[in-house]
Amino acid sequence: MARTSVKKAGWIGRVFFLDLLAGLRLTLRYMFSKTVTHRYPDHEKWVPYERHRGHHFIKTNDEGDVNCVACELCSQICPCDCITVIPYENEKGDRRPKVFDINLARCLYCGLCEDACPADAIKLGQEYEVACDHRPKLVVHLEDLVAAPRKAEDGGQVRPARLEPGGKRRSVATAAAGAESHDWWRHIRKGK
Amino acid sequence: MEYVLALLPMLVKMAIVVGVLLLLPLPLTWMERKIAAHIQQRPGPMRVGWHGLLQPLADALKLLTKEDHIPAEADRRLFAMAPVVALVPPFLVFTAIPFGEPVQVFGTEVTLMLSDMNVGLLFILAVSGIGVFGTILAGWASNSKYAVLGSLRSIAQMISYEIPMGFSVIGVVMLANSMNLSRIVAAQEDLWNVVVQPVGFFVFFIAGLAEAQRIPFDLPEAEGDLGAGYHTEYSGIRFSLFMLAEYLVVVMLAALNVLLFFGGWQGSPFFLPDTVWFLLKIGFFVWVFMWFRFTFPRYRYDQLMAIGWKVLLPLSLLNILVSGILML
Repeated sequence: MARTSVKKAGWIGRVFFLDLLAGLRLTLRYMFSKTVTHRYPDHEKWVPYERHRGHHFIKTNDEGDVNCVACELCSQICPCDCITVIPYENEKGDRRPKVFDINLARCLYCGLCEDACPADAIKLGQEYEVACDHRPKLVVHLEDLVAAPRKAEDGGQVRPARLEPGGKRRSVATAAAGAESHDWWRHIRKGK
Repeated sequence: MEYVLALLPMLVKMAIVVGVLLLLPLPLTWMERKIAAHIQQRPGPMRVGWHGLLQPLADALKLLTKEDHIPAEADRRLFAMAPVVALVPPFLVFTAIPFGEPVQVFGTEVTLMLSDMNVGLLFILAVSGIGVFGTILAGWASNSKYAVLGSLRSIAQMISYEIPMGFSVIGVVMLANSMNLSRIVAAQEDLWNVVVQPVGFFVFFIAGLAEAQRIPFDLPEAEGDLGAGYHTEYSGIRFSLFMLAEYLVVVMLAALNVLLFFGGWQGSPFFLPDTVWFLLKIGFFVWVFMWFRFTFPRYRYDQLMAIGWKVLLPLSLLNILVSGILML
């Protein structure tokens, strides 16, 4: 927080407006300090930390098959009942989800599904731009979940980005990892 | 033909001054928004043009296309007249403000001011006093209680601050033995008046802030209690005329501060032309006014009056007395 060096300087301080001068000094320092605004969405984008709980994704194994064994534990533990899983047996005889729908309009991103999952399949990723203009679009299906962004391993940074209004679901594309991103928190706490 | 040739420099000067003054609010609004933003650690307007440079144009277009609304039961003639009345004095003042030493253009001497008056300073003080009429008329004609209260406050404020303002420049006039602004500047060749007259500068600066109705003395348009003060009912182009007048008063006060206390165009670094140096100084003062605006809260009304009558007026009188004794 802002700290000024005003102490009670008695009547001499009042005559020379030391308190006002302290205020002016503070605003002058702010005037020439760096701004804290993210220029989101068309210049920069905040990539959240790895711990961030955003849009779900489902992991796949080396053969490209989903990890999920359709045990329905996630849908059981879900406090807002937003996961629908219907199992089936695939040609290899494995139990796999035929339907895996998550209603993002109901989801509260608590991450209990992630904790309950025995097969290391469902995770909550870095994606947070899930707003849309049509409510049925908020129900995401298995293929969306497989394609959704993973956890951000180098998260916690502001990364250059550009706006793509015609894009499929996500209209803000970040530049590749490692491109001149900066740590916003360290940046704004410089003066501390 | 002879007459035309004699009038030509005058016409050119008038065209330049009027043109620049009319366009001045565009960069000033941009500057004000940028300063506000950076004091609050925001970048401010960034989208329209490079770093939002074209934002004022967009704002002006928006203002000009807005509905020109006149409230019911308003005095329509006065309502239409008030913005113009508010705008005239700041323009008039710039006829008396010199921008530098006379220069040689095509072998003829051209003064860098519209009118070299012997009593330039008196003229400026008198004319800027007319500005209060625009405020009174706007408040009265609007048929709105906010507007009336706002204009009552500004009348009281402007009248009480004009007195210390007038007294504070007397020290300067005594030092220069003239009310001619060029002479006042010439008298500061060795030493700027701010060194000799710190109290005079202090009073003039504060009274100027109050005269321009800038924060911390912007009571006539205190949003919290008066809506927008005397221009509550104004919209569109009429409102933009008030805005224009407000910015011009700020520039005028910056110019006066520079001319009277900071040596006008004197003391220019060797590579800068005098006029550019003078304009830079004015820019600095405009920046200071904006810096103050986004630093200080507003004074209460009784505090405002107490500062004017109980602090600034005695100080300015004391300043005259002390400078008089020292000069004897």
